[in-house]
Amino acid sequence: MSSPDRDVPKRERWYESKRFRRFRRNPLAVAGVLILLFFAGMALFAPALTADRLPRGCMRDLGLGRSEAREALRDPTRAVFWRAMIAPPESCYKIPRVSYSPVPKPPSEKYPLGIASGGYDIYYGIVWGARTSFYIGVLVVGIVLVIATIVGGLAGLFGGWLDNLLMRLVDVVYSIPGLVLAMVFASIFGRGLIKTMIAIALVAWPIYARMLRGNILQVKAQDYISAAHAVGAGNLRLFFKHILPNAIGPMIILASLDIGAIVITASTLAFLGLGADVGYADWGQMISFARSWISNPGGEPLKYWFVWFWPSMAIALFVLGWNLLGDAVRDALDPRSQ
Amino acid sequence: MFNFIARRLLQIPVVLFVLSLIIMGLMQLLSPQQRAAAFVTSDKQIENLDLIIEKYHLDEGFIVQYKLWAKEVLHGNLGFSRISKEPVLTTIRKRLPASTELALAAFVPIVLVGIWLGTIAATHRDGLIDQTLRVVAIIGWSLPTFVVAIWLVAWVYGGLGWFGIGRLPNNLLIELASGDFHRYTGMYTIDGLLNGRLDITYEALKRLVLPATALVIVVSAGIMRVMRSSMLDELGKDYVRTARAKGLPEKAVIYKHARRNALIPVITMAGPMLGRMIGGIVVIELIFNFPGLGEWAAKAALQLDVTTLLAFVMLIGLIMAVANLLVDIAYVIVDPRIRYE
Repeated sequence: MSSPDRDVPKRERWYESKRFRRFRRNPLAVAGVLILLFFAGMALFAPALTADRLPRGCMRDLGLGRSEAREALRDPTRAVFWRAMIAPPESCYKIPRVSYSPVPKPPSEKYPLGIASGGYDIYYGIVWGARTSFYIGVLVVGIVLVIATIVGGLAGLFGGWLDNLLMRLVDVVYSIPGLVLAMVFASIFGRGLIKTMIAIALVAWPIYARMLRGNILQVKAQDYISAAHAVGAGNLRLFFKHILPNAIGPMIILASLDIGAIVITASTLAFLGLGADVGYADWGQMISFARSWISNPGGEPLKYWFVWFWPSMAIALFVLGWNLLGDAVRDALDPRSQ
Repeated sequence: MFNFIARRLLQIPVVLFVLSLIIMGLMQLLSPQQRAAAFVTSDKQIENLDLIIEKYHLDEGFIVQYKLWAKEVLHGNLGFSRISKEPVLTTIRKRLPASTELALAAFVPIVLVGIWLGTIAATHRDGLIDQTLRVVAIIGWSLPTFVVAIWLVAWVYGGLGWFGIGRLPNNLLIELASGDFHRYTGMYTIDGLLNGRLDITYEALKRLVLPATALVIVVSAGIMRVMRSSMLDELGKDYVRTARAKGLPEKAVIYKHARRNALIPVITMAGPMLGRMIGGIVVIELIFNFPGLGEWAAKAALQLDVTTLLAFVMLIGLIMAVANLLVDIAYVIVDPRIRYE
């Protein structure tokens, strides 16, 4: 006979769970994670990767000279290394211009990915563009979560006419293709990265508000809520302590996985000319630099392939990484596939 | 059923009203001068900004401005498009056929490819074909439309010299403008046939291949995924087992029994798919130099031509609402078990 305490099951860690094991064994999920790690590394180490070609304004803001920058930004013992990595000044996001020539130049030793129309260094734009993409994705998801929590929370908590009104608003925003509405909003707000992000967030929230509302209604109907109410918990305490924490999880996970879709919209707006300021390291905008060099320029097809190839590959791979990850997580969370 | 349709039809103006409120409301973020700039079509007018502000009451409150706009719209006047330099309705009449032609050219292949691949994936569940198609679908879903369009323009049109961009070659466009070619529908492929000008139909079709392919690549993946999971659901049901047990050939089980029922959930995808297609068309028309509504709207967005943008959003809202209503009606026709009260 075994002693009674040996029958107590060991507490399962998340990495031992069946779900995580299934996720880890899924080659697509692993591929997605690897792609994202690659871009994350590129974004994080952007200053070190481009230490020899930083724009003048960026070096000035970091307090470095040209000869000094190369060493200092690759030396982890220096404070400026960490400063540039964690909080680089805004001027570092400007792609340095090698010349002002409208004709792109093929890859060379100094400029391994070539020079775009307008003298923009493509390598610099790709590396810092990874930072921009993460920045856009995370920030837009943040704004979306705030809006969705307020709207979905109010609708789920109060119900009645307020619920009805808010859900009809959700229907209206949801009834127009996201890109079309984001384009109109971005046009009204004007050019600028933050403005574009607000435009995208204003279009992306409805589906999450609806999801949160549904979850709140589900949680509200459960016994422990009635129990807490019977014990005398007030409405606000009930909502913030018991209902919201139990209803918000799926929304946060699914919204974070939506970064791929958000980056698609953001890069499309940038391509249309409604994104960040001209010259900002942004993949979508880099493709718009390439506009006149795509189809058979000067009778030599594919001569200037590098101007559109690298940024378009970067966007496609970045979004693919998020979607591979998202697909696997949804699979792992789906109770039907247990 | 009649009540259901009537109620949904009555909702459409409400949706359009709220949409116009949202956009006009955001417009209040701009200064009267910025709003006036939306009306400027020549250098001379820039000097008279104050006159424009006064004429259109741009410095008054939101309600006054909204009332003025709504009054014009209710009288059938959607305003003057600065981008196309003509009344909005004239432009819509000219450009709608082009976008419709492109949408129709893409629609059939999108549905066929999606249903076909979804069926194959489901019948080869977890096999090599299924796994490959799964990866292909995720890739297709991950590619931004403008990236696909640019790859097609660069590699197929630029590199190989196949197909074409634009709607028709310039010499034919000049000929059409002067000759006695009758525009029955505004769609060159059909008008070419009706006028007995097969060369025009051929040239127009040639230029539809690449933009339609771009749409198929980015849109059909979604249909394929829904089709696969709905087909798997059906294949696991009792009636399929019965059909197999009574000795029906597998082909008949799949195509005659399971697939017909599996198509029902795919119909619900029509709304979201149309939305994705409209977003794609805006970008694709711009890249392929295709003079449709999307190209017009994209250019209007770049220059803050608010009149055009408002009209475009209203039009898209109307199209989406009607499409969603049709989807719901189709649902009842296909599946008699569904009833709307």
